[in-house]
Amino acid sequence: MSAALQHLVNQPYKHGFVTDIEADIAPKGLNEDIIRLISSKKNEPEWLLAFRLEAYRKWLDMVEPAWQNVKYPKIDFQDISYYSAPKPKKKLASMDEVDPELLRTFEKLGVPMHERAALAGVAVDVIFDSVSVATTYKEKLAEVGIIFCSISEAVHKYPELIKQYLGTVVPPGDNYYAALNSAVFTDGSFCFIPRGVKCPMDLSTYFRINTEESGQFERTLIIAEAGASVSYLEGCTAPRFDTNQLHAAVVELVALDDADIKYSTVQNWYAGDENGVGGIYNFVTKRGLAKGRNSRISWTQVETGSAITWKYPSCILRGENSVGEFYSVAVTNHHQQADTGTKMIHIGPNTRSTIVSKGISAGQSNSSYRGLVRIAPTARNARNYSQCDSMLIGSQCGAHTFPYIQVQNSSAQVEHEASTSKIGEDQLFYFAQRGIGAEEAVSMIINGFCKEVFQQLPLEFAVEATKLLSFKLEGSVG
Amino acid sequence: MNMIIKDDYLDKLIASWKKEISPVHSVSYLDQLKADALNCVESLRLPTIRDEEWRFTDISSLRATPFPRASAATLPVSDNQADTFLDEAVCKLVFIDGRYVPGLSVQTADNSITVSSLSGLTGTSSVAEQYLGRLADFQENVFVALNTALMHEGVCVIVPADVAVKVPVHILYISSRKEVTVYPRCLVVAESGASVTVIEEYVALHEGVSLTNSVTEMYLKDSARVNHIRVQRESPQAFHIANSSALVAKSAQYDSISLALGAHISRFDQKITLAGENAGCEVDGLALIAGRQLADTHTFIDHANPHCRSRQLHKCIMDDSAHGVFSGKIMVRPHAQLTDARQLNRNLLLSDRARVDTKPQLEIFADDVKCAHGATVGQLDRESLFYLQSRGLTETVARNLLTYAFGGEVISRVTVPSLRQHLEQYILARTRIS
Repeated sequence: MSAALQHLVNQPYKHGFVTDIEADIAPKGLNEDIIRLISSKKNEPEWLLAFRLEAYRKWLDMVEPAWQNVKYPKIDFQDISYYSAPKPKKKLASMDEVDPELLRTFEKLGVPMHERAALAGVAVDVIFDSVSVATTYKEKLAEVGIIFCSISEAVHKYPELIKQYLGTVVPPGDNYYAALNSAVFTDGSFCFIPRGVKCPMDLSTYFRINTEESGQFERTLIIAEAGASVSYLEGCTAPRFDTNQLHAAVVELVALDDADIKYSTVQNWYAGDENGVGGIYNFVTKRGLAKGRNSRISWTQVETGSAITWKYPSCILRGENSVGEFYSVAVTNHHQQADTGTKMIHIGPNTRSTIVSKGISAGQSNSSYRGLVRIAPTARNARNYSQCDSMLIGSQCGAHTFPYIQVQNSSAQVEHEASTSKIGEDQLFYFAQRGIGAEEAVSMIINGFCKEVFQQLPLEFAVEATKLLSFKLEGSVG
Repeated sequence: MNMIIKDDYLDKLIASWKKEISPVHSVSYLDQLKADALNCVESLRLPTIRDEEWRFTDISSLRATPFPRASAATLPVSDNQADTFLDEAVCKLVFIDGRYVPGLSVQTADNSITVSSLSGLTGTSSVAEQYLGRLADFQENVFVALNTALMHEGVCVIVPADVAVKVPVHILYISSRKEVTVYPRCLVVAESGASVTVIEEYVALHEGVSLTNSVTEMYLKDSARVNHIRVQRESPQAFHIANSSALVAKSAQYDSISLALGAHISRFDQKITLAGENAGCEVDGLALIAGRQLADTHTFIDHANPHCRSRQLHKCIMDDSAHGVFSGKIMVRPHAQLTDARQLNRNLLLSDRARVDTKPQLEIFADDVKCAHGATVGQLDRESLFYLQSRGLTETVARNLLTYAFGGEVISRVTVPSLRQHLEQYILARTRIS
């Protein structure tokens, strides 16, 4: 069956093209002057520059981590341009004024912005190479008091909020890439849901990496005040390039009493070609702080792209009765590598967490689940359930599981399960018997395997994710 | 990668040992092996919690105690040790502080197996050359290197082809004095079709600080069976560091049970290589610790060939401020298709100060495999407690009974009846206190 299906798995990356927009690029290299340049380009206040410089100094003292189960050539941090922004032509008053070139890009992606926004009722905060170009539905959100804007705008408009929360969940010195991000982040999203407000629509941003050789360093900060709730979607595609691009984002979530944050990601950045050349390095620090009583933070991710995916969306469960969730599907093919998982740090009493991780490896790829469940002595009656399943397609790929479980409280209940399987001949035979071809059968089996995670996704993402898996994997069986 | 830092602790150990021996002139395999290992010791350092493999086990307190190698035992063993002898074990080998004591040992009249000390072996046979130090890798592991360089003597059990040894071989290591280091060494070779039960037991006659650094190597040839039972009941102040490796050939079966009951800090590294098709292993363990004890078990099951099967059950019961550590890795190499591996780690915390760190790991490079692992951490089931109380048992008795039953699952797998009985009583006594 393999021959017929082989071409499917080798489908070229559909979204690989470079938009020709004049970009304002900083010279390559990283030093304090570059950081000052970024800061001045963005008219930042003094305290933010100080924050960046402190992070930069910490970064200088840090050593690049080496414990991960992924391999890549050493990154030359002096060979990256840390700032690039589309040159502003003029202030935009409406969608019609957005650069037509830019709009065509989204057209090609199959996500016409206005259509998508109208269709799904989604406010899309478009991030195009580090600078927020167009924001829609702002008024509607403003009516209920929700702030949803780019982080650089927030720095000017709501400096107190940024000052209060930035770097509190992921401190500038947290890890090597978080420190780098804190020093050079150019843009990202900021979202603030005031007390008692349920966000009337799903919020989403659309990230793209454009200009070749410019690493993107987004910073996302979401704050849900007491009783607030929000569902945030993040979707990614990137054009095709041959040099590796570093992407080191930081996402911070803060949930106060009874607040609920749901953060969903579909990541389909360029993964390199079938020989493992090119592709994005996705080294991201994502962390949520469930600070208040009964707060809830939920991460859902579908990771299909990037040459290397290396991230652990985590929850710090500090508030009493707080809940952390992590649902993940990571698909690797060809020479892709993924080392992903989560950390659930239980501090408050009666905290609960659920981890469901599905890894699918095909080709010569390697996928690892690495997770930490820590129950602190203060976390009475904490509860965790973890399940990580791997599926291997082909005999040259690898699947790895590295769970760490650290328990310091006798009233805790912690369970961890992991299994590994493949698509069996007998399963395919059964489908064939029912008149369903191998191609469709594989797609159905994989969708069944990932169902628990897909159920957590908002509807339009679930559709996109299903499609993604289909063209990523179909045909690698045989 | 690491800078070579002069390690005080290791230097002291070696210095005290060099004082003790006269230079060696012969160039037998054993002497060469020891010299090689000594070279390795000099380029290695003691692991710290910054090393991933030792992250949860802090042995820095070992540095304060560079105990010399135990000298020859002078202490006769009193009768109160008689209860550690087993009815079934006609063949028993007794070591006091690392030295073989022929007076207390009984070898089988039956010539079917060769049981000898290593020193007796080297002159006459090439067994040492063929097997010793080939499995226990001293290049990377400083404790294996130390043992290889400084071993006094050891035991060597060779079971010829197609011989099924009916009685268990009981190897008893007695620590009689504190503030010494002993380096027990054990080599077991089961030729094709042979089967044997080997019991390694570590006991102490004192309650002081001492260090045991033991290394065991087991070779299972085609279709051989070895049942390996390891009981560690060292002094509550002792350090116990042990390495055990088994090489399991085609269609052979290696079953092991290791029990960590004593010692202040104990660490057991077990490596099993399934090196032939259809090889299998069953690896069980129980750590029952209280006070400020730490028991660390690291296992590595290497599925290097197709059609192999492994089963693992490791349990820890921790009371007071005890700290249990488990790291179990199952590796499935490329081409090791149709592997069937299962691992389960269950931990019972009896006190709020107790702590457990567990890390079950799977590394899989073949697609047609069945692999699963699970880990649980919890307390005694409330409903079971309630049920027992509703039947008139007091809460304490009910708790003890359930704790005993939790550990009993592993003990029940001990195939030697008298040993099982000893252990059951021991665990009953231990659980009664809590």
